[in-house]
Amino acid sequence: MVQIVISSTGTGGLAEWVLMELQGEIEARYSTGLAGNLLGDLHYTTEGIPVLIVGHHILYGKIIHLEKPFAVLVKHTPGEQDCDELGRETGTRYLVTALIKNKILFKTRPKPIITNVPKKV
Amino acid sequence: MPRPPASRRTREEVDATLQVAKLNAAELLPTVHCLSFGPGTSGAAAGDFCLLELEPALCQQLEAGHSFVIRGDKDEQAVLCSQDKTYDLKIADTSNMLLVIPGCKTAEQLKREGTQGNIVHTEIFGFSNNYWELRRCRPKLKKLKKLLMENTYEGPDSHKEEDPSRSKYTTEDLLDQIQASEEEIMAQLQVLNACEIGGYWRILEFDYEIQLLNHVTQLVDSESWSFSKVPLNVCLQELGPLQPEEMIEHCLKCYGKKYVEEDEVYFELDADKICRVTAEMLLQNAVKFNLDEFQEVWQQSVPEGMTTCLDQLKGLALVDRNSRPEIIFLLKVDDLPEGTQERFNSLFSLREKWTEEDIAPYIRDLCGEKQSIGVLLTKFCRSSVQNGVKVYNSRRLIS
Repeated sequence: MVQIVISSTGTGGLAEWVLMELQGEIEARYSTGLAGNLLGDLHYTTEGIPVLIVGHHILYGKIIHLEKPFAVLVKHTPGEQDCDELGRETGTRYLVTALIKNKILFKTRPKPIITNVPKKV
Repeated sequence: MPRPPASRRTREEVDATLQVAKLNAAELLPTVHCLSFGPGTSGAAAGDFCLLELEPALCQQLEAGHSFVIRGDKDEQAVLCSQDKTYDLKIADTSNMLLVIPGCKTAEQLKREGTQGNIVHTEIFGFSNNYWELRRCRPKLKKLKKLLMENTYEGPDSHKEEDPSRSKYTTEDLLDQIQASEEEIMAQLQVLNACEIGGYWRILEFDYEIQLLNHVTQLVDSESWSFSKVPLNVCLQELGPLQPEEMIEHCLKCYGKKYVEEDEVYFELDADKICRVTAEMLLQNAVKFNLDEFQEVWQQSVPEGMTTCLDQLKGLALVDRNSRPEIIFLLKVDDLPEGTQERFNSLFSLREKWTEEDIAPYIRDLCGEKQSIGVLLTKFCRSSVQNGVKVYNSRRLIS
């Protein structure tokens, strides 16, 4: 049988990260992949409402405290140096890298930012 | 220190964007997160990371440094086990995009910290369209008995003990074979009266177990002890020449409750358990037994002072009141299938219509945390009234 261990690194508390949920999908222009690209600016209003500006779109969302938190698990595939104390090779494992207890949800459609309003003639 | 990439946004650029978007900076908190995808940012689809949804209790366990184990063979549905519970593990898909962002603060956190006009460059760790979902499930323990029955223990002198090719299982081996948490496995080993012999978990061969029990009950009788006060030390002294001391103590533990009085260890024997195992011994050799005859033989077979009653046989034997004469036969709940539908199918192939009283012992272990037998019956059976008694039959046609 396969046994896969999920464990935290054990040193100190776990980092707390945030989950951002967007409707639909984000694609990079020219299909270059998302890596290395800028997504946008995340602001908060003084009332605490998150505001995300992506390109020429603006999104208003809300922060949700998750009743069921998430753990971010990073897959760890054994290399040569990964043996347990008996020298047996340990299998694939998942390291708990962070916990997520808050989610920023943008569930409404983005509003376009109109920059160039033609002037009345 | 690594130089910031050329594309890093400056406060001026952020402010310019705000102006274009016609947002009033005065109505915003001064801190802004500039989110970007790092050069190595990957999707969960690539398999490098994943999101696991946790109930609060499990989250606390992770925070306390405990770990979990995913268990399953290639042909089994994977389960996740904590120290004491088992969960079905499923992937939940979402049409939304989930971005995992380290070092990003919520409005509340920012307000609490009260930082001024900061620009926080945040690299998105990854993105995903799914997460792992857990649902509490019953531990899959049937295999445990199957494994241990491969090589039952018949005593130290048995020829079986000299044969190294016979299968034996340590706790580690069982954890590697059974889809259940460690605590659930340990609890089931107790239910099975299993014994750790030389580091391996063994189920005693039924005849051997009965033999040990007979030694004990005969000693209790000849010493005229009370069943509620059986001294361990005298038992070991008297029976030691006949059987290994560990086996005698194991037998006392299985059929009694240990307690200490005035520095002396005693066992209070459980009459119900002893009557039950005696009935099993009588029934296992017969396909069916005339109920009246059985009850007579049974009462004569138990140690004097113990009283038999059919309630002791719940989940072990079934009485058929419709046949003439009335009969009783062996039907052990742990020999029935583990899955709920499969269990009902198997019960209905044995008998078409069941009263709640008869079926209850055979489905009680299927109930979830907050589920009652009534809920299971409503879901899996059809009910009708026969001669004024409510009976349940299958919703499906059983071949």
